[in-house]
Amino acid sequence: MTKIRLENVSYAYEDRGAALPAVEGINISVHEGEFVSIIGPSGCGKSTLLSLLAGLSFPSAGCIFIDGQVIKGTGPDRGLVFQHYSLFPWMTARQNIVFGIRQVKKSTGKKTIEKIADEYLGLVGLRDFAHKYPLQLSGGMQQRVAIARAFAMNPRVLLMDEPFGALDAKNRVVLQEVLLKLWDNGSEKKTVIFVTHDIDEAVLLSDRIMVMSARPGTVVREVPVEFARPRDRAALIGSEEYAGLRNKMVSLFYDDVLQKIGGSEVAL
Amino acid sequence: MKKLFNLANIGFLLLLLLEIIPSRRNDTGPFFLLVLVVSIQVLYLLILAVSGDDDKRTAAGDITAIIYALIFSWELFTTKLDILDQMLFPAPGIIVSLFITDLPVLLKGFADSMELLLAGYLLALAFAIPLALVIGWRKRLYNAVNPLTKVLGPIPPIVYIPYAIGLLPTFMISSIFIIFVGAFWPIFINTLNGVFNIEKRIIDSAKALNVSEKTMLFEIILPGALPAIISGSTIGLVLAFILLTAAEMIGATSGLGWYVKYFSDFADYSRVIVGIIFIGMVVTAITYVFNKIEVYLLRWRN
Repeated sequence: MTKIRLENVSYAYEDRGAALPAVEGINISVHEGEFVSIIGPSGCGKSTLLSLLAGLSFPSAGCIFIDGQVIKGTGPDRGLVFQHYSLFPWMTARQNIVFGIRQVKKSTGKKTIEKIADEYLGLVGLRDFAHKYPLQLSGGMQQRVAIARAFAMNPRVLLMDEPFGALDAKNRVVLQEVLLKLWDNGSEKKTVIFVTHDIDEAVLLSDRIMVMSARPGTVVREVPVEFARPRDRAALIGSEEYAGLRNKMVSLFYDDVLQKIGGSEVAL
Repeated sequence: MKKLFNLANIGFLLLLLLEIIPSRRNDTGPFFLLVLVVSIQVLYLLILAVSGDDDKRTAAGDITAIIYALIFSWELFTTKLDILDQMLFPAPGIIVSLFITDLPVLLKGFADSMELLLAGYLLALAFAIPLALVIGWRKRLYNAVNPLTKVLGPIPPIVYIPYAIGLLPTFMISSIFIIFVGAFWPIFINTLNGVFNIEKRIIDSAKALNVSEKTMLFEIILPGALPAIISGSTIGLVLAFILLTAAEMIGATSGLGWYVKYFSDFADYSRVIVGIIFIGMVVTAITYVFNKIEVYLLRWRN
């Protein structure tokens, strides 16, 4: 079943009277429960696309449908995780999650909400850090809390804007596993739109990868990722299928770069 | 042994030795000076006993030594050598004795002053913060009000005093009004800038959580602007205190500023100095409490 549909979506920034196109003519359709990555060079409008999906800004042209309805702003059906500043620094890890849940479950009692918050803190391995403020946590821990909050609010759609982009390689792998675990946890999988510029991350996590190009920012290719789930990272990375897909992605991703510097001898 | 002969203790001993030298002025005798010096020494030893931090102990010792040096030269040039003018430079012992005898008057002045200060300052907080939160959050209001604050904000609040006295019926109301105006602008302008400078991603995060307007204002914008609100409130408090004492010097019949002005009219400079020192102590105490509140409210900032 189609969960999200973008029809001819364009968005242009106003800059001293002139319109600067950020994304143009985007047509995407995402199924319920699908994990879709959006990948592309910086400046291709990935983040713009995500903020349109979140309802933080509105398309200059075209329409975005969720469950067949045009979106009219932010909504509790969509959760959002940024690379930075997802959490409120004046709230502890637990208070951040409690605050999130309170926005969707307005009539639920305090005790119940706190119980849910603690449960999700446990799921991301931060039970002992419940009363720490974000600035007292490492970048990886902060993202765990942000992800825990997003899942605790139980939205049907999860929008993630390079959530692991600022983490070191090891933490990134750990957080990817945390994300997959939570995604697989519920009875019904959430629909995830995951913006990244890390090819391995996109291949390992996604059901489908959208490749975007810059100027104008638009989707140039859709690549299905058909590895069975749950995916065994170690076995997958050693396999030929993985290497094949990854090489294909690399050539798509660096296509324009290679053309510009004029040779395939550049080591990628 | 080395610990015993630090600067502070040497200063203490020197001051005791100084009292053996015969005095040229004979006003109060050594008693009150000794009371002062011994109290400072006791306080210093208490800090040594309580503090576990070596840096803090050293600092306490150095500060005590500086205070002793000041008292030493003050006593030397007044009581002992009598080089300085008697009326303008009373001996430290006289100040201490007057401080003790006038303490009830000073405390009453403190209470009266605090009444004015708190009334004006709390009113400023109560008006400036909510107004600035709403105006900073509404782009159109912000664009309209921000240029106005640039004109009204920098007017030195002292110039309102004559007008306020003419405009308002009693001294008390006009003082409160002046303190209010003086404290209002720094709090208002800082809060406004604080709201304007909240990280955009944090606002986006809150919007994505679908928060209500009320939640946005009080649970996101308010704490987000809090560091700026507190720095504005600190400036506001300092200004409020300056205006309080200025107003009291002009028209009050009690209070800290009145005390200093009243006795200077009689050329009683000993009491003027007592008043100044007492005001210094009051300001220090208020700043101390304020800093504690700040540290607590901003405990999330590392």
